[in-house]
Amino acid sequence: MKDIIWKLLRQHISKGQLIGFAIANLIGLTIVLLAVQFYRDIKPVFSDEESFISKDYLIITRAVTGAGAMMGNNGEFSDSDISDLEHQPWCRQVGRFLNSDFAIDAQLGVGTGHAMRTQFFFEAIPDEFIDIDPNAWGFTSAKPEVPVVISRDYLSLYNFGFAATQGMPKISEGQAEMLPLEFTLSGNGKRQVMPGRIVGFSNRLNTVIVPQEFMEWANQTFGTGVAQQPQRLIVEVSKPGDIKIEEYMDEHHYEVAGDKMSSSKANYFLTVVSAIVIAVGIIISLLSFFVLMLSIYLLLQKNTRKLQDLLLLGYSPSQVSRHYILLVIGLNAAVLVLGILLMLVGRMAYMDMIHAFGISGSGIGISVLVGILIMGAITAGNIRAIRQKINSLWLHEK
Amino acid sequence: MEQIALNNTLPRVFAGLHGIHSDIWQQQVTFERGKRYLISAESGTGKSSMCSYIYGYRQDYSGSIAFDSQDIRSMTVAQWCDVRQRHIAYLPQDMRLFDELTAMENVELKNRLTGFKDRDEILKLFEAMGIPDKVDSLASKLSIGQQQRVAIIRALCQPYDFIMLDEPVSHLDEENNRTVADIIVNEASRQGAGIIATSVGNHLQMDVDTIFNL
Repeated sequence: MKDIIWKLLRQHISKGQLIGFAIANLIGLTIVLLAVQFYRDIKPVFSDEESFISKDYLIITRAVTGAGAMMGNNGEFSDSDISDLEHQPWCRQVGRFLNSDFAIDAQLGVGTGHAMRTQFFFEAIPDEFIDIDPNAWGFTSAKPEVPVVISRDYLSLYNFGFAATQGMPKISEGQAEMLPLEFTLSGNGKRQVMPGRIVGFSNRLNTVIVPQEFMEWANQTFGTGVAQQPQRLIVEVSKPGDIKIEEYMDEHHYEVAGDKMSSSKANYFLTVVSAIVIAVGIIISLLSFFVLMLSIYLLLQKNTRKLQDLLLLGYSPSQVSRHYILLVIGLNAAVLVLGILLMLVGRMAYMDMIHAFGISGSGIGISVLVGILIMGAITAGNIRAIRQKINSLWLHEK
Repeated sequence: MEQIALNNTLPRVFAGLHGIHSDIWQQQVTFERGKRYLISAESGTGKSSMCSYIYGYRQDYSGSIAFDSQDIRSMTVAQWCDVRQRHIAYLPQDMRLFDELTAMENVELKNRLTGFKDRDEILKLFEAMGIPDKVDSLASKLSIGQQQRVAIIRALCQPYDFIMLDEPVSHLDEENNRTVADIIVNEASRQGAGIIATSVGNHLQMDVDTIFNL
């Protein structure tokens, strides 16, 4: 029985137009969903939740210039520089890098019989700037062992630059942390050998960090005793991407070390590119929305007489429009489901790359929600148009 | 619904014309439930317009029309659907059958909305109308006279206070005219409904209470 009305109303439905709409909308929706998902998956690569220095920290140095060096500017930060920095609105706190004021000789055993020996250096920053297991961090002169955090780049340099060409074994981070390490500290007429241990790797700090209490003890024991000003500062900021920070740094000829700024730039570009791709997807979706609108209008136009006759028989506009609305809902739901499936397929293609960065990607909840919102909006627009059109058929003459 | 009242009604296209002599236009006319009316007209005098005003799908008239005391311009879509399903049965002059459906499907399209008759009753009507062999024929394959009878069966498939027939027998011969008239009068009497039939010459053969010249 129900089929009689559908038998009437499906006349003039153009499969070609509907398929055209579905494909166009599917492309648009898939682009939007993939862009959203990719953005969310790749985002952690650019933010620093992984590194032990949390993401709101900048490391700054003075720009090294020929003129500056000639003028006797040795790149140190004075107390007034630091105080000025501390009074900036975006600055939460400033930590000083403490340099070693004594000679260090490091010996690293790699495999049996191999040992690397090199001159070495240490730096220290206040503990509150370091996010690391306090049990492994710290120092007592009674049981001297030096925990160090080194740049992850150093390990890469060794693995890919040195070990690969010199026939040495590659080492993982886990292995590196177990390497026998020995430091010989000397200066001030004293000399002491003590074991060391790598306790962590940093993406951010391009240096060798030791606990501040060790540094103070060692500087006192082996150093010249002359108080020194820091050459590097670590600054906790409220908004890492703030343009005012960059202006301030430029104005004072400070350089932001590491990938902090470039990472926030990359982050910025990721956002911009994602936004462009999402916009393109939305435009395609919008265009396809108009294709569907046009198709529906044509269909209703061609079936005007039938629709009017049904209304004359006593069918209500909502009974008449229901069939077209169900058609649109079915079509859009199919596009949504296919769009999400295509997004998942696309995601599988790039997830290997994401995994190579050592991150697992985020959930698909937000993308699915975005898809539902877009298709919900398109469907609502379609339904509204169908209702309006059918209501306009109610009166033949006003 | 007890009465349909036309109060000084005039199709807008006639506005400004002088010398309109009509029993309907610009008059006070009341159709009452249970009575039979014949509206005799020459073509072009607006009888189909009158039907479309009363059935609510055109409003290009001046004056007013009321069902009982409610001005029909103030009726909602839902009220109109109720009128069309339960209070006024209507046979348009051009029948408005769906060509792509069979005779039976055309009738059922209305009957499923009202649930007024069962399939046997409908089949009996086809038989009484003399077209039992056309039940499953496509409407487009029927002659105009056959289409007219299918459309009448469709109009009868609902409860009504009035049945309004726009030239119901224009394509029927004398004998069929009488048959159709008997069926309509019977069906209407059973519901105590009023009959309003228009004609440009070939009148529905029934006793009438009032004849209006449009």
